[in-house]
Amino acid sequence: MSLTRRQWLKLTVGTPALLALTPAVPPILSRAAWAADATRDRSDHVLVILQLSGGNDGLNTVVPYADDDYGRHRSTLRLAERELHKIDAALGFHQEFAAVSQLYQEGHASIVQGVGYPDGSRDHDVALRDWHTARVGELACQTGWVGRAIDVAAQSPTPTVPGVFVGPIAMPFALQAEQQVVPAIRSLDAGQMAGLQPLRRRAQRGGDLTGPSAGLDGTSVADGNPLLDFAHHCLRAAYVGGERLEAVLRRADGVSDYPPLQLASHLAVIAQLIRAQLGIRIFFAELGGGGIGGFDNHANQRDNHAALLRQMSQSMAAFVGDLQRAGMLDRVVVMTFSEFGRTLIENGRRGTDHGDAAPLFLFGGRLRGGLVGSHPRLDRLVQDAPESHTDFRRVYATVLDRWLGLDSVSVLGGRYEPLELFA
Amino acid sequence: MGGTNQASAGGDSRDSSYWEVDADGAWAAYQPGGGRPWDLRGAAHLYRRAAFGANRGELQQALADGPQAAVTRLVRSPGEMAEFQRAFDQYDRAAESSGSDDGPRAWWLRRMIETPHPLQEKMTLFWHSHFGISRARVTTGRLMVRLIHVLRGQSLGHYGEMLAAVLREPALFLGLSADANRKALPNDRVARQLLAQYGPGPEAFDEGDVCETARALTGWFVLRDELRFVEREHDTGVKRILGQSGPWTSEDALRIVLQHPATALNIVRRVYRWLISETGEPETRWIEPLAASFRKDYDIGRLVETMLRSNCFFSPQAYRQRVKSPVELALSLIRPLEGNVPTLGLGGVLAELGQNLFRPPTVKGWLGGRHWLNPVAMMERVQLAMALLTPGGAYGAGLDPLAVVPRHDVADPAAGAQFLLNVLLGGDVPEEVRERLCRRATESDAAELPGRLRELAQDIVTLPEFQLA
Repeated sequence: MSLTRRQWLKLTVGTPALLALTPAVPPILSRAAWAADATRDRSDHVLVILQLSGGNDGLNTVVPYADDDYGRHRSTLRLAERELHKIDAALGFHQEFAAVSQLYQEGHASIVQGVGYPDGSRDHDVALRDWHTARVGELACQTGWVGRAIDVAAQSPTPTVPGVFVGPIAMPFALQAEQQVVPAIRSLDAGQMAGLQPLRRRAQRGGDLTGPSAGLDGTSVADGNPLLDFAHHCLRAAYVGGERLEAVLRRADGVSDYPPLQLASHLAVIAQLIRAQLGIRIFFAELGGGGIGGFDNHANQRDNHAALLRQMSQSMAAFVGDLQRAGMLDRVVVMTFSEFGRTLIENGRRGTDHGDAAPLFLFGGRLRGGLVGSHPRLDRLVQDAPESHTDFRRVYATVLDRWLGLDSVSVLGGRYEPLELFA
Repeated sequence: MGGTNQASAGGDSRDSSYWEVDADGAWAAYQPGGGRPWDLRGAAHLYRRAAFGANRGELQQALADGPQAAVTRLVRSPGEMAEFQRAFDQYDRAAESSGSDDGPRAWWLRRMIETPHPLQEKMTLFWHSHFGISRARVTTGRLMVRLIHVLRGQSLGHYGEMLAAVLREPALFLGLSADANRKALPNDRVARQLLAQYGPGPEAFDEGDVCETARALTGWFVLRDELRFVEREHDTGVKRILGQSGPWTSEDALRIVLQHPATALNIVRRVYRWLISETGEPETRWIEPLAASFRKDYDIGRLVETMLRSNCFFSPQAYRQRVKSPVELALSLIRPLEGNVPTLGLGGVLAELGQNLFRPPTVKGWLGGRHWLNPVAMMERVQLAMALLTPGGAYGAGLDPLAVVPRHDVADPAAGAQFLLNVLLGGDVPEEVRERLCRRATESDAAELPGRLRELAQDIVTLPEFQLA
């Protein structure tokens, strides 16, 4: 027999008000209440997914400088050993990855090497679709893997916002959910908060916001209509969350430490949203999409790629530093991905074409750090590109199961062997 | 309406003169009397479900006419409809050529705002979700607009004819990624959708039925935006679909689906969720009488009319048992306040709230219910209402509450407040909320009244009751 929401509330904590609004109650209490619901308590873990649009050249990001094949095939794009930030005797970061290199030294970054999927598509739309759905080749797949994770995470008795997109482009398909409305947040300016005004007016006029069964304005919640209850709780959560977010924005903690770059501004928004404790578990951000200047560099790649890596590196360092100073880094993991790597062999236009294997980066305070898996072999190319050996869905499964505590099998539709990523 | 004496219509739904219904009397026509009075709550409820909310005149008319005549008014197509539709179909043709679906989306919203036959648009929206076809896969916008025109034409017509017409639309095949149905490589997507969503529902068939139905659908191709039947690609062999064997074609598959007893039940269940309640799946026993009638001729208009006229519809089982979709939310401000707002931007905002017209999220359509609501979406819903009520903002002149308050009520702030509660919520809010809202309005002097009424309208849209249909 399934319990109604109200019965559940009464059974677990005795007072409906406690769960009326997760963010409003002390974290300890809310976590205790959650524990009855979730089998594992990872409810305050946050995943930030960063899409590098266009197919990042992994070979010039984590550079196999000691491999002769690299130097031989990269006649114009080859990066000199002395300019790199050395990882070990074989690999080094691109010179614009100074800040990432620093994070790596500190154990706040991991590199999962050789990621892709068998018979990976080299068409942008198809490959991106595969990474977004995590259902390779299923053209008719209706939802994205993040959207499905959001639907799973939303199966709680309290109103929650499991995931949001923060970025200027159209919402990536990865966030397509069957059930939940997934918000897209472009910025956090005054206009976005205008809705707070009438809510605040009502709350102030009604006075009591904290009583056991208080509505927003102190009125009792109507019994017997679960939808009315739910709407009520959402309004309260919107109000309390909005107030908290506005306080965070007013204090503007850490904001001045971000460089004036688009990705940095989006990561700053994410940091503010994490600070405001709105219960958002998954953030999705993007770099390189929406027109010129992406990672898809078929010609004259060098400077464009360097600029993107610089933006990513500086932005990520600012984000990690901000979270660290705020004592939140242990709760956050960032995972990057790109639809494919690029060819080792240059294409004659000082650029590279669509490839396969690429490194995937993780940032955070609770990582094992270091390299995961081996660098893809450069002496065995398929259509000019090194082959991937680690299925991207293994990384997805690992962050779902072991970081977010969401069942990866129900999200991915299959079991994928986890990787050792977290400390 | 308008005076404070209307307060007697208030109280929340649980006390009340509303009544319990049982399965036997559920679908009989509701006749007011005794403990079942016809009042503002019922009239507003009817207009929220069968239309996009009611303005003052419509509510007054409904109260005067009684429930059955009010339903009649909503289900009958007004005489001027043909002219209205012709004009808007022409606007659609102009908009669809732009390539973007912003134009058609804006025109559909405009049509919902202006239509003299709102039930038709309400049901068109329902069928749009039911068929689950998204512009995302339909490469040509014109085909998507045409599909909606087909749905509109049959929205209160015959389900069998509608289904047959939809199966002739290239948009259906494109939307389900099934533009090539080869004999050697049957595509099962249309078959699956036909059985699971348009037909008997997921419980009634197995994978064998899907494969065999897919074979019956072979030969159909979308070529240069036209649906073509290529004879040599049609599998003429014997197929066994839902227990019937023969050399079936797509027409046969459709006939077999309509003959299956679960099909009517599946559609009735979905219409029930749309018109009556999202809070629980109705028991089969409860809706079987409707399904039995619907099964005879698949007359959608009669099904909808029976539901709207019923005791069940006017009972607590239906009252406020739905969440307004984003489109309904916006329209439930615009139509009662008799405004007309620019819809181009509105369409985009509604998309961000989760209801992007022409683009349902999956082939299952919009699931609705509490899925519409979460704290961030709620903040955005309140913001949209605020923006609509703010002059000189994103919606031009915006909606002006003062413009619709009857002249004699303007002088009396409490009456003005009550008036807004009546048109926006059928007057039905908890007593203490009403008192506080009215008190606030009466504290102001006449000069401040326009601002106060606007503020009051903003306060009303932040009530949880306003989120419910």
